[in-house]
Amino acid sequence: MTVLDMRDVRKVYRSGDADIVALDHATLQVDHGEIVALLGPSGSGKTTLLSIAGGLLTPTEGTVTVNGIDITGHDAKELTKFRRENIGFVFQAVNLVPFLNAEENLLVVDELGGGKGGKTAKGRARELLDELGLGARTRNLPAQLSGGERQRVAIGRALFNNPKLVLFDEPTSALDTKIGAQVMELIRNEMKARDTAAIIVTHDRRMTQYADRTVEIVDGRLGAEAPVAPQA
Amino acid sequence: MFLAFHEMKRAKVRFGLLTGAVGLLVFLILFQQTLLSGLVNQFIGALKHQSGEVLVYNDQARKNLEGSIILPEQLAAIQQIEGVADASPLGEATFTVTAGGQERDTVIFGYELGRAGAPTTLIEGRLPAAADEAVASEKDTADGYGLGDVIQVQPDGAQITVVGIARDLNYSVSPVLFVDWATYEAAKRTRNPDAERILPSAVAIHVVDGEAASQVVDRINATVAGVEAMTRQQAIDGSPGVSSVRSSFAVILALFYLVVPLVTGLFFLIVTFQKASALTLLRAIGAPAKVLVRSLLVQVVVVTLAGSVVAFGLYAGALQGVKNLGVHVEVMPAVQTSLVVLALALATSLVAIRRVLRIDPIAATTGAGVTL
Repeated sequence: MTVLDMRDVRKVYRSGDADIVALDHATLQVDHGEIVALLGPSGSGKTTLLSIAGGLLTPTEGTVTVNGIDITGHDAKELTKFRRENIGFVFQAVNLVPFLNAEENLLVVDELGGGKGGKTAKGRARELLDELGLGARTRNLPAQLSGGERQRVAIGRALFNNPKLVLFDEPTSALDTKIGAQVMELIRNEMKARDTAAIIVTHDRRMTQYADRTVEIVDGRLGAEAPVAPQA
Repeated sequence: MFLAFHEMKRAKVRFGLLTGAVGLLVFLILFQQTLLSGLVNQFIGALKHQSGEVLVYNDQARKNLEGSIILPEQLAAIQQIEGVADASPLGEATFTVTAGGQERDTVIFGYELGRAGAPTTLIEGRLPAAADEAVASEKDTADGYGLGDVIQVQPDGAQITVVGIARDLNYSVSPVLFVDWATYEAAKRTRNPDAERILPSAVAIHVVDGEAASQVVDRINATVAGVEAMTRQQAIDGSPGVSSVRSSFAVILALFYLVVPLVTGLFFLIVTFQKASALTLLRAIGAPAKVLVRSLLVQVVVVTLAGSVVAFGLYAGALQGVKNLGVHVEVMPAVQTSLVVLALALATSLVAIRRVLRIDPIAATTGAGVTL
């Protein structure tokens, strides 16, 4: 079943008298449990596509349906609720709230959803952090964690609400190769274990090996699609 | 609440310093206000705390009780005015007295016992019931004006016994004795034995129940020649020195009322910029703007109220050291001041709120935050 269905999506920015096309008639479907690597150089439109899929941006043209919800005409308030309830995000740069410890960075998702961070939520946060190998680091602030640990906490936060779609924007760009590979391995395992769909934006071709499929994007146009051999 | 309190918990020093700063500034406001109130009470406490709702001076006195006399025919005319329940002579004069073994200047107020002009803030003892009895001000008890102390009017005048102590009963920054009219007359005669008659300085008036004092004032001024009637508050406000003291303090207080919210507003604006990327991340993962705004407002309220508690502690402690100024810890003005400061702090935090509302969640994909 399709989790993400983007059809003929365009995103055009106005700059002075000129139109800048960031995304040009992009069509992309992602199924349950499928991991798609979106590969492209800087400025190719991959983050724009990810942002539209996650309800951070609205398309100029085209339709976007996530988990059966057509978000094309959603206003900012509806998109905020949609993101909170349906999407997990792991960003490239800032991923954690610096004044919350690892556990609280997960619990904030429950809090934003109207929860009170009760026993159930705390139990789930600890379970996720254990699973991500951070059981001993739950009380640590982001500043006390390594880059890889921080990304793992961010993955935990992205998975906290059991979203059907998780969007990763260059999740390993700030990590060294070894840690980056570990994080990608973890992402793949966690997505597959939960049958959760994911789009991983990257410009590093080596990272595509962790995806089920790779979609290339150049100058806002989606190009060749290539299935990737499953991980050994 | 989750975000607000966790942030404060993790940045105790930062928020503690702000709370301390707000506390010190609110303390200064409270202290200045109390000093002003104490000073004004020392100037005109006796007028403020006598029972006449309306006071009538000679119209040549320019609202200065010291320079006022009321003629018998004016007093008689005032008594006839509609709305006047009781119009009683009120005398005021400064005498040299011996109190506590020392010669001191003392203002003696004479009034007719049981009538308008009696002190209203008795806290100990009783009102005078006969000649040579007096009520003195609480502030001067240690200087020979305590309950049971005998004060002698110089030269060789009456010996007046203090039978009651009232709060804030000074006048012209001097000790005050409220005595019956006959004692006042006798004191005046010690200074001027040849005086044909002793005229009152003013008339203290009780108005009829349900009648507005201001209406009675208007009627007297329209009907009786040569006098100027005022409500008690008008008489206080118009007293020499009071308005200039008030306006000087008003400038200082206005500056403090300006600085406190500016400090608070600026602090939260800086904090908002400092945590811009975290706020952007929260918006991106679905935090409604109102949640972030609420969190900010909770912090403003907590810091301001905690600062006010600190201020009240400092204020109560500091006033113990200046009791001789006739100042008292007053809770309600402190609460009102805190609420005004809170309202102003919330108003200035609107700038930070505006920044929060301007956060675009898309910035999470670029690592950017709030922009100026």
